[in-house]
Amino acid sequence: MPNLTPEIVPALVAGGASAKVPDEVPARFKAGDKVMAKNIHPTTHTRLPRYVRGKTGTVVHDHGVFVFNDTNAHNLGTNPQRVYNVRFTAQELWGPGASPKDSVHIDLFDPYIDPV
Amino acid sequence: MNGVHDLGGTHGHGPINPEANEPVFHADWEKRVFALFFGTFAEGMLNVDQFRYAIERMAPAEYLRSSYYEHWLHTYELLLTEKGIITEAELAKKYAELKEAA
Amino acid sequence: MTSDSADVALRVKALESLLVEKKLVDPKALDAVVELYETKIGPHNGAKVIAKAWTDPDYKKRLLENGTAAIAELGFSGVQGEDMLVVENTPDVHNMVVCTLCSCYPWPTLGLPPVWFKAAPYRSRAVIDPRGVLEEFGVTVPAEKEVRVWDSNAELRYLVLPERPPGTEDMSEEELAALVTRDSMIGTGLAKAA
Repeated sequence: MPNLTPEIVPALVAGGASAKVPDEVPARFKAGDKVMAKNIHPTTHTRLPRYVRGKTGTVVHDHGVFVFNDTNAHNLGTNPQRVYNVRFTAQELWGPGASPKDSVHIDLFDPYIDPV
Repeated sequence: MNGVHDLGGTHGHGPINPEANEPVFHADWEKRVFALFFGTFAEGMLNVDQFRYAIERMAPAEYLRSSYYEHWLHTYELLLTEKGIITEAELAKKYAELKEAA
Repeated sequence: MTSDSADVALRVKALESLLVEKKLVDPKALDAVVELYETKIGPHNGAKVIAKAWTDPDYKKRLLENGTAAIAELGFSGVQGEDMLVVENTPDVHNMVVCTLCSCYPWPTLGLPPVWFKAAPYRSRAVIDPRGVLEEFGVTVPAEKEVRVWDSNAELRYLVLPERPPGTEDMSEEELAALVTRDSMIGTGLAKAA
């Protein structure tokens, strides 16, 4: 008999499956820190898009500790990591021709970034 | 991976073309494909990260040409056969039977 | 679009019937999932959150501090909304949300994403040319304002709190909710005028 029955669907949907975990993982960074996204090119799963790699941004918020997608996709464990929201200016990402006002905010796992 | 799915900042994909009053699903098969995520996840057949990586492994031209829920279908076919939950032969046989009956 | 709809539909039918035969999937459970997302879960939920934030300053404060908890106060929670952040549009900042890598979207408050959100044109252009994208949606953001694009690439999900339209001071929460469009909560639109 399958696990998913019509009766449990509403509760399952309302409960969800948060990727946030209570693991204690120290924060390497805090809001205001300048960080650089690593120039890495894994052939495996990653949530670090190419357009931010090698770019410098500012940590805006510490989201806490989450399952690390990059390893979880390959049965290498949940490997909990801190996730930070990092702000990149449009000019940092796209060059001096870009808007001087605009920005992109993206969530980066601790292993994606180095201190500047 | 540096797949074609990593679209941020790329050019040439054309206008966004939002559809007015878009339905949640455009075809019956899309409903089944969507709901199958819950069925397969609840059965422990896959997690969301494996699911996404399987989509990323689509042939690039196929990824861009096909519709969104076709990506999901590709993922189930790939993952479930990779994990031995179903076989390609079983799928092909069932497909042929259904086509015959149609 | 799909290459051959009939072929795709058959592939889906083959897959589902195989899983059902093996007793791995219950088709009635799949029906229940579809029913939920076609009828109950949709942007009308998010609109209630926004309307409450507009009328109740304490709620707005809670919403911006802990989006997940505040949204759950109204009974919305769960799959693809387990960890929510609400970002506020102000006179200085216009927010817009995208998932460049796939299609991540806050389902409990907005329902399932529209096709355009999940397709290459939006996903590619939102981060590099947000103002061009907004123009295509008929929204012009003045140069003095910052356009802030949120790429929801991890498991946090983002909801935009649009600015409250002027002249709506006397409206009820229900009337206000009717002004909140789905696109205004993604950031590709503004709330409707009074």
